[in-house]
Amino acid sequence: MGSASFLSGMRPGLVMALGAPAIAMGATFLAFGAAVREAGLGLPWALGAALLIYGMPGQLLLLQFVAPSAAGGGGVAPAVLGAVAANARFLPMAVALTPWLRGRGGEWARFLALPFIAITPWAAAMPVLPGLAAEARLPWFLGFALMSWSLAGLATAAGHALMPLLDPAALAALLFANPLYFALLLAAGMGAPSSRRAVLGGALAAPVALLLPPAWALLGAGLLGGTVAFLLGRGGRG
Amino acid sequence: MDVDDAATAALLLAAAGMVALRGGGMLLAGTLRPDHPFIRWAASVSHAVLAAFVTLAVIAPAGALASLPWPARLLGLLAGMAAYAASGGRMLPSLGAGLAVLLAARALL
Repeated sequence: MGSASFLSGMRPGLVMALGAPAIAMGATFLAFGAAVREAGLGLPWALGAALLIYGMPGQLLLLQFVAPSAAGGGGVAPAVLGAVAANARFLPMAVALTPWLRGRGGEWARFLALPFIAITPWAAAMPVLPGLAAEARLPWFLGFALMSWSLAGLATAAGHALMPLLDPAALAALLFANPLYFALLLAAGMGAPSSRRAVLGGALAAPVALLLPPAWALLGAGLLGGTVAFLLGRGGRG
Repeated sequence: MDVDDAATAALLLAAAGMVALRGGGMLLAGTLRPDHPFIRWAASVSHAVLAAFVTLAVIAPAGALASLPWPARLLGLLAGMAAYAASGGRMLPSLGAGLAVLLAARALL
């Protein structure tokens, strides 16, 4: 695929990212930018966390530990371990996504997608990529991911700037856009029995998360619910 | 190390951790086909993580979300899903309907 056709192949994903994903991500990262300023940290730190961590649970945990106002002054080791654990879902998400990014480009071209593997691009891509031609998948993903990532950065900067104008209740409502959008994405993928089982498993396992340390809560519930759903699916076929 | 240095160091180390998670997953899956059991297990776990994230945001959220009354969170979610079903799967109006009901319920409760 030439560079011109690669760029034009990015357009459909880029356009899709401008709809509901832009609103959901924009609202959430706006709230994050405001929270960083409220915690006493500057715009460079806010942008670094939004664009390099690029996963809200890990971002919030990092902020909670390192903010100048954190109890005990925070600490580097617990902050890093907490953020990595909170975003450990990136590992299974990358595993599930990578086979769909294999096109005719070089074997290493798919690593262009590495910084953008996060819930929103992953959840938007998984129902779309199997229906595309192999060589169209990586450009689609990069188009979607680059637009989402750029919007996340812009929204973070806007939130940091607008913090004095936002009241806490408005920030909380903005934060709800994210789980609501993910719920809609899950509903969109419920046609496949394996997805239905996994979603049900994750929802039923969610209370287990309340028994775990906050950094491990999501991954723990997902591992339990997702593994049980996977095993039930295999048993049903066998 | 002052507070700003510690915050920067933590950010850079955590960012390296994210590269390890994402890159590790890509290397692990590099030679496998989409229908390999390991890939399907990873997809199942990822979907379940997402479902747990949504469930916890409604039943037991942390941080600022907890300041919204739980009936408002639940009504917002249900309104979004209902609008999704009624609109034939259109994301944007469904998202708008869910947030509008959330805000209305928060104002009333």
